[in-house]
Amino acid sequence: MAEVRYYDIRCVRGEITLVDIDNGVVESAGTSFFDKAVIRVLGSKGWGVLTRDHVDIDSKREVERLVEAASRLAAVTEDHLDLADAPRGVLPVPPLKEDPRDVDLEEKTRLLAGIEEAARVAGVGNTRARYTEGIDAVRFLDSSGNEYSYEAVRSGFSVVAIASRNGVMQMGSERDHITTGFNLRNKQEFGRKAGEVAVSLLDAKIPKGGTKRAVLDPELAGVFTHEAVGHASEGDLVREGASVLGGKIGERIGCAGLVIVDDPSLPEFGFIPVDAEGVAVERTEIVRDGILSSYLHNRETLAAVGNGVPGHARSEHGAPPIVRMSNTFIENGDAAYDEILEECRDGILLIGSRGGQVDPGRGVFQFNAEYGYLIENGEKAGMVRDVSLSGEILSTLHNIVLVGNDRKMSPGYCGKGGQSVPVSDGAPHLLLENATIGGRGE
Amino acid sequence: MNGEDLIERILREGERRADEVEVFYARGLSVAAEIKKGILGNAEESEAWSMAVRTVKDGRIGFSATSDPDRWKECLDAALASGRLATPQQWGGFPKPADLAGTPSAADGDLVVAVEDAARMVAELLSGAAEHPVEVVGGSADLARSYLAIANSSGVFYGMDRTVAAVSLEAIREQSTGYEFDASPFLADIDARSVGEQAASLAARSLGGSDLKTGRYDVVLSPIAAASLIGQVLLPALSGRNVKAGRSFLADKVGEEVFDERLSVYDDPFAPGLGSTAFDAEGVPTRRLVFVEQGVLRRFAYDLKTGYRYGEGSTGSAVRSGSEGPGIGVHNLFIDGPRVKEPGDERAIWIHDVVGAHTANPFSGDFSVEISNPFWMEGGEPVEPIRTAMLSGNVFEMLAGIGGLGNDSRRVGRLTIPSIRLNNQQIIGK
Repeated sequence: MAEVRYYDIRCVRGEITLVDIDNGVVESAGTSFFDKAVIRVLGSKGWGVLTRDHVDIDSKREVERLVEAASRLAAVTEDHLDLADAPRGVLPVPPLKEDPRDVDLEEKTRLLAGIEEAARVAGVGNTRARYTEGIDAVRFLDSSGNEYSYEAVRSGFSVVAIASRNGVMQMGSERDHITTGFNLRNKQEFGRKAGEVAVSLLDAKIPKGGTKRAVLDPELAGVFTHEAVGHASEGDLVREGASVLGGKIGERIGCAGLVIVDDPSLPEFGFIPVDAEGVAVERTEIVRDGILSSYLHNRETLAAVGNGVPGHARSEHGAPPIVRMSNTFIENGDAAYDEILEECRDGILLIGSRGGQVDPGRGVFQFNAEYGYLIENGEKAGMVRDVSLSGEILSTLHNIVLVGNDRKMSPGYCGKGGQSVPVSDGAPHLLLENATIGGRGE
Repeated sequence: MNGEDLIERILREGERRADEVEVFYARGLSVAAEIKKGILGNAEESEAWSMAVRTVKDGRIGFSATSDPDRWKECLDAALASGRLATPQQWGGFPKPADLAGTPSAADGDLVVAVEDAARMVAELLSGAAEHPVEVVGGSADLARSYLAIANSSGVFYGMDRTVAAVSLEAIREQSTGYEFDASPFLADIDARSVGEQAASLAARSLGGSDLKTGRYDVVLSPIAAASLIGQVLLPALSGRNVKAGRSFLADKVGEEVFDERLSVYDDPFAPGLGSTAFDAEGVPTRRLVFVEQGVLRRFAYDLKTGYRYGEGSTGSAVRSGSEGPGIGVHNLFIDGPRVKEPGDERAIWIHDVVGAHTANPFSGDFSVEISNPFWMEGGEPVEPIRTAMLSGNVFEMLAGIGGLGNDSRRVGRLTIPSIRLNNQQIIGK
């Protein structure tokens, strides 16, 4: 057999339940099953990685056979990697308030239909709601004798409303996902809000693009944190030379007092009890008092780059672990919301997120708000729609003028390297100056 | 039990308990050689097996899927349970066996799924990139072969092979990045060295760009930039399900001139491509579909479910992704029309790619995105890099009045598309 310096196997067996209701019609409601395993071998140089369905992790013979096959893959690699030692340990999984498996599919469908129906306010022509539930049974073992297993339960929904008038179509959308139990009861307000936003956007204007002061609400400020700082602090991008934050540890990248954290141990939607390499998870301060202080690492990037905290390896089932964020946020400052609006005076308030993207090597990011309001003389004025914000990682944090005291986390999914994992982002309200706002208004 | 026997067994067992049963089966082998920091870092091999079952009883459609052959009974039970909750609808049955007219061009008999071959392609990518003074930060070479089958209780049993060869490379020079890629069913289509060279060239040439002032400019969207925006906005608008649900900007516009008369949009499932196939994901024979003919909207895409529900008939447009049930999509979509010699003959801004295309509003078509690797273009050549800017606009308005199509069509995923010149667009500078 080719040289094997280390191996690990991670199996995820689980169920996915989806309910899709479109304009009152139950399009689908059902459960699917998967059973995926990833076997990694570190050879004399780099990784050989095998993905298989349905592996019997308890069969020594099967494990040996797979390790040997992966070692043959590792033999073609040329990049010499080492693994740093890292603390071990598994956190208890937060108890489920109500186990979604105790609720039958019929009740889930009925509850989702209630949320979808609530979105059908006057002026709304189309509504759609989707329930997503994932039950993952995770098992891990490695050649160093570490072994663990845990169960992850996720439950949540999204609801979209579309309002139209004279050929103009606008959308409102809301979502909520948790890891701590069943999440469909008493949620009609989310549907109602999606419907109301869609209708009010029919009268919203498209803002004029340009450089101005911007207030970000906690949800959008969370996406800002994730796109503008989080990705560029990922150790794999730093190691590969693909991040503008490479070599900048100890440098000031933001205003005094600014603290940016990634914390996989928080019981939010990005919670993991242990990372995908069996490393203990802990709160990691990426930025402390405006100074870049830690990268997010797995064992391999910690060994290669240093200056950071391991325990950030994550993977979608059936894919190899890579460095990922979990629960990423800006800590509270001391500005009250009214004070932020007043200080902004003339600018734009941006609310909710339609997603974002970053090119961490170039240091440029973009994200989109669901809607917003012009701010005139320190007060909320007309509603605006289809507005984006872009910026440069190395200068943007210096443009934070005020940090609010009302941090809130929002759940979502983050894509990287073709893998999607649950995350949460958050921040208090932020006031940015010199923000580049995209909009095609005149 | 091999796949074929298992399919047969599920059909027989399912027929006893429902009016109709359908099984979609896929198995595949793929390898990837990944570049880390300029050399081959990871080698991966993946074997996948999946089976998706649909049952129909009294117009109620049930669905489940599994990647574990031992759980097929549970999967069939779950499909039947799911059907009991679905809203009943008009249903005319799964398709019966038909003569498949077209011949797909989806598999390369010579493609071998071997990690050594992928490693060789990585070496070619790197040798191309070495022509420019850049650092290679990532990239990969992928080879895959899969077998797909669709079978139903009306007697359909179609199977096909699919192959994929794909390469990508990402390079950086200081704060200037360049990314290029290519993918095809046919190994011979892939010039890994050239992809590496182009990615490196983009990173090298984009260095030290000048700033732009906010204003209106003529732009040329590269095929990649155009595919990103059009994929996010136009594809959902052509889906019959969105049309009937009132979620498509194009609903009620059949017969109208919705786009520039120089633009045609069609799905050609028999053209060589990653989506090439003679039958769709529900076993309906595929055919060439013209959605937009010289600017005039002709039709929308339907699957069985939406087709039966609204009396439109399937257009053979069902596709599947992952282990989800079938949905409406395209196989090989072409954006086509008469070409101008060079869409950038007059001074314009060339936009290689955009950041954030997925945030475009699919219902209204409005977007504002950051642009990547923009250049001032003169006489059809990118001459001077631009540092950074945003592009704001509306996809439907853009397609209604284009400046011209370039003669540089390329495949970007399931789209084949040329560069598109657009005059008088809103750019937000710094």
